[in-house]
Amino acid sequence: MQHGFYFDHKRCVKCHACEIACKTWNEVEIGPRWREVVKIETGTFPDVKAMNVSMACMHCGDAPCQSACPVRAITKRAEDGIVLVDQNKCIGCGFCAWACPFNAPQLSATAGKMEKCNFCQTPGKERPHGMPRACEEICPTGAILSGPMTELARIGRENAATRLGGADMRGMPALMIDAHRQFGPDGDE
Amino acid sequence: MSSKDLGSQLAAIKGAKIVKSFCYTCPWQCPTEVFVRDDKIVYQKGNPESPNNIGSRCAKGMASWYVSRDPDRLKYPMLRSNAKGKDPDFKRVSWDDAFNYVADKLKFIAGKWGPEAVVFTCHHDPNTVFYRHLLGDLYGSPNNYTHTSGCEQDRRSACLTLFGHVFPMHDFANSRYVMLWGMNMLGANQGLWESRALMDAKAKGCRLVVVDPSFTETAQKADEWVPIRPGTDGAMALAMCRVIIDERLHDESFVNACCEGFQGFAEHLRSKDYSPAWASNITGIAADRIVRLAREFAKSKPAMSAIFKGSGYYTNGADAGRACFLLNVLTGQVDKPGNLHLKDWAPIGAPVVIPEEAKGKPGKPPLHLAMGYPLAPDLPNSRLPDAVLKGEPYPVKGLFVQSTNPVMSDPNRDRVIEMMRHLELGVALEIYLSETALECDIVLPETSFHEQAEIRQGMWLGPEIILCQPVVSPVGEAKPPYEIAQGIARKMGWGQYFDYERWEDWGERMLAGGPITLDELKRKGFWAGEVKYDRVPKGLPTPSGKIEIYSKAYADAGLSAYPVYTERSVIPDREYPLQLTHSKLSMHCNIVTQNNPYLMEVCGENWVEINSSDAAKYGISDGEPVIVESPKDKIVIKAKVVEGLVPGCISVRHGHGFGHWAMGSNAKGHGAHSNNLMETHTSPITGANCYNECKVRVRPAPAS
Repeated sequence: MQHGFYFDHKRCVKCHACEIACKTWNEVEIGPRWREVVKIETGTFPDVKAMNVSMACMHCGDAPCQSACPVRAITKRAEDGIVLVDQNKCIGCGFCAWACPFNAPQLSATAGKMEKCNFCQTPGKERPHGMPRACEEICPTGAILSGPMTELARIGRENAATRLGGADMRGMPALMIDAHRQFGPDGDE
Repeated sequence: MSSKDLGSQLAAIKGAKIVKSFCYTCPWQCPTEVFVRDDKIVYQKGNPESPNNIGSRCAKGMASWYVSRDPDRLKYPMLRSNAKGKDPDFKRVSWDDAFNYVADKLKFIAGKWGPEAVVFTCHHDPNTVFYRHLLGDLYGSPNNYTHTSGCEQDRRSACLTLFGHVFPMHDFANSRYVMLWGMNMLGANQGLWESRALMDAKAKGCRLVVVDPSFTETAQKADEWVPIRPGTDGAMALAMCRVIIDERLHDESFVNACCEGFQGFAEHLRSKDYSPAWASNITGIAADRIVRLAREFAKSKPAMSAIFKGSGYYTNGADAGRACFLLNVLTGQVDKPGNLHLKDWAPIGAPVVIPEEAKGKPGKPPLHLAMGYPLAPDLPNSRLPDAVLKGEPYPVKGLFVQSTNPVMSDPNRDRVIEMMRHLELGVALEIYLSETALECDIVLPETSFHEQAEIRQGMWLGPEIILCQPVVSPVGEAKPPYEIAQGIARKMGWGQYFDYERWEDWGERMLAGGPITLDELKRKGFWAGEVKYDRVPKGLPTPSGKIEIYSKAYADAGLSAYPVYTERSVIPDREYPLQLTHSKLSMHCNIVTQNNPYLMEVCGENWVEINSSDAAKYGISDGEPVIVESPKDKIVIKAKVVEGLVPGCISVRHGHGFGHWAMGSNAKGHGAHSNNLMETHTSPITGANCYNECKVRVRPAPAS
C-alpha cells in the first residue's frame, strides 16, 4: 500500500520546524535539505494572497528519479511505495535531480552522494508505520500528516467536506453540483 | 498510538534517555522532552502532556541542541586587558579572580556613588532571580530590570493600567472574532499552543482580522487584512470605540459595573471628534470600513482585540495600546472564554532567603522614576546612556548585561557603544562573546539552558510551574547563574544567604508548600492548574479595583486620563520619503540564534521589503542589494519587492538580529544591522524604544 504525506497549506505558518525536525531526527548535515518550506505570493496591493508549501520527496508512483538513475541506486519499496536511494550504489551523477520536478534529491557535498526524504527510514533510525514522521510530529499547527494514501484521501475528503459546510466557504454559493454523476466519464444518467 | 507513548518509543529508536525540561531559546519556554545519549542531546520534542506546546516544537527550539555543543561558546572567564575603545583584548582568568574583580568593583562603586549606580538588565529573566537577590536585596541597587523597553513595553503598560495585569494571555481556542494590531504571532511562532489554538479556532469559523502595514504570516492567514499606515493604530481604534458607543453596541451593564470612566470616555471621544472620517485621513483605511469593522467586532462574541509589539514601536504607542484593548472593554469581552485572559500565576517561592536586616538601602529611587517615567513597567533603556554619559538623572557606573546585547538591540548603536565605553564596570553574563561583551570589562561564561536548572512560571492560560533540568555537562568552565551569583556573594561577605550546594536545594525551597514536589516536577516537567475565567466582576488589582478606562495613574502623571491620538515623531519628507518599519522571523529569536548553522541554513540573512510601486519609483530590483539611508546612517541590505506592504514604508525583517560582528563564526558578517539608522526616540509615557521612528530613502547599491 502506497504511503505518503498530506499537507494542509491553510494551517502551515512557514515556521520551518518541519525542516529542522527532519534534519535532527535523520542526522542530516548542513547542505542537503530533505524538506523545505516555500511561500508563494500572488495578487497586487492590497489584494494579496500567499500560500506556504512544505515540500519533500513526493515518493511518486512512477518516480522519474528512479528511471533516470544509471546505476539503479533508486528503488521504490514494494510494501509501502517509499522511494529510497541506496548510498552504496549512488555515484553522485545528479541525473535524478535533473529528472525530479520537485527538487527533492539533494547532493551531499561531503559524501558526494544523493540523498532525500526517506520517510524517516534512515538506517538505524527507522520510524515504523503508525508513528508520525519527524516533520509531522513537530508541526505546531498540525499541517502535515503521513500514512497510507487511502487513509490520507479519506482525511482530505473530510476536510473538504468540513470546509464546504463551514466557515471557510462563507460567501460561496449554497449549491453543490454532483459533477461526477452528471458530467463524469459515463455521461448523463 | 497515544502521544504520551510516542516519546519513549522514539527514545528507544535513538538509544536515548528522556529528560523532562523546558526550552528557553525564546521567552515562551515550551516544556520539552530532551533525548540524551552519551552526554549529548540527540533529539527534542514537545512535552505532550503539557498544555503549552501540544507535543510540538518550533525551528528555533528544535535546533537549540547545537547551542550545547557550539565550539564558539565562551569557555572561561575573561578579563579585559587593554583600554576601552580599542580592539578588545581579553585574557583568561580563574573564576576566583573573576569573582574578586567584580566584588572589588562593586564595593568601590557603592562607596563612591552608591549602590544605585549599578544596573542589572537581562533578556528573559532565566534564573536572574539570583542576581536580583544579590544586587537588589543585598547590594541595595533599586535598578534591577529586564529588556521590556525593547519588547512589549507599551502592551505591558496598557495592561497594567487597564487591568492591573502584567501579561495577559490569549484564549484563541474559544474565540469567534480575533483582531490583531501589528501583531505577527504566527510569524514569530513563539507560543506554539497559541498558534495551534488560533488555527483550530479559524477552522471552526473564527474570523481573523489583521491590522498591519505589512502582509505578515499572520495577515496571510487572516480573513481580512487591513493595510493601515504605520504608527496610526491608535486613531483607528479610537474611531472604532466611538462607533461602538455612538451606536450603543457596547455592553452597558459591564461598563457600568466593572469599569471606571465610561461616560467620561464617551464624552472624550466626542469632544476630540475621533470619528471614522477623521481616522480615515490618518490611517488610509476607508471610513465605512472602520464602521463595519467596529460593528462586526461589537456584535461578535467571544471576541478579542490584541496587540503585541508593533503599535509600540512609535512614540504614540502607549495610548494606541490602550485604545486597542478598550475595544474589548467596551464590549464586555475581557477574561471570559475566547477573550484576552488575565491568567493566574502559580505559587513559586524565592530560592534564597534574605533577612530584612541584611538588605541594602538604596539612596535614590529606581531609574525609571528618577528619569520621569512613573508608568514605565521596565527601564527606559534608551535613556540609560544619559545616566552613564551625563549623570542624568544620577550617575550610573556599573552595568550587568545578562543574556542581552544592547549594542545590537537598542536603537542608536553609536550611542550605546559610547555608553559601554564609559562604564566603570561592564559585566557580561553570556554564552557568546557578543557585541556588548566586547565592550565590557569582564565576561563571565554562563551555561546554556541545556546545562542548568530553572523553575519558573509557564506561559500558558492557567497557572503553571515549569522546570528546566541540566541535561548535559557544561561547556568549558561555564557556570549557571546560581553559581555565579553565589561566587560573587561569597566575595562580598554574603555567602551565608546563598547556602545551596546542589540546585535541588534551592529548587525544593522554591516549591515548598506549593502544589508539586521537586521529585514529581522532575518526572513530569510541569505543573498546570485550573484555567479560571471571569475575574473582572470580582475586582482587579487596579487602584479602583475596576478596569480603568479613566486612568488615575495617567492623570497623576500629568497625562491624559483617557487615551488620545498624537502623531508619531518622525514623518517621511521629500528627502527621506519612506518610513522604516520592522517585523520578526519565525526561525530566529531576536539576537540569540544567529550562530546556529541549522537556522542560518533556513535563513542566513535579513532583508528589506518594499512595495512594487515604491521599488519602481526608486529603481529597486527584487533580490538585489540596496542602500537604505537615514539622516543618521546607511546600510546595505538585500531587497525583496513585494505587494504585501503599504506603499510609503519599508519593512526590515529581523532588523537587529543580523549583521553581527561578533558572537561566532556562523553569525558574523551576515545581513545588515538596522539599529544605527534611527536616532534615540523614547515613548514619553512608557519609556519604550521606538524602533520605527525613522525616515529613510533607498537606492540600488552600486555593484561591488
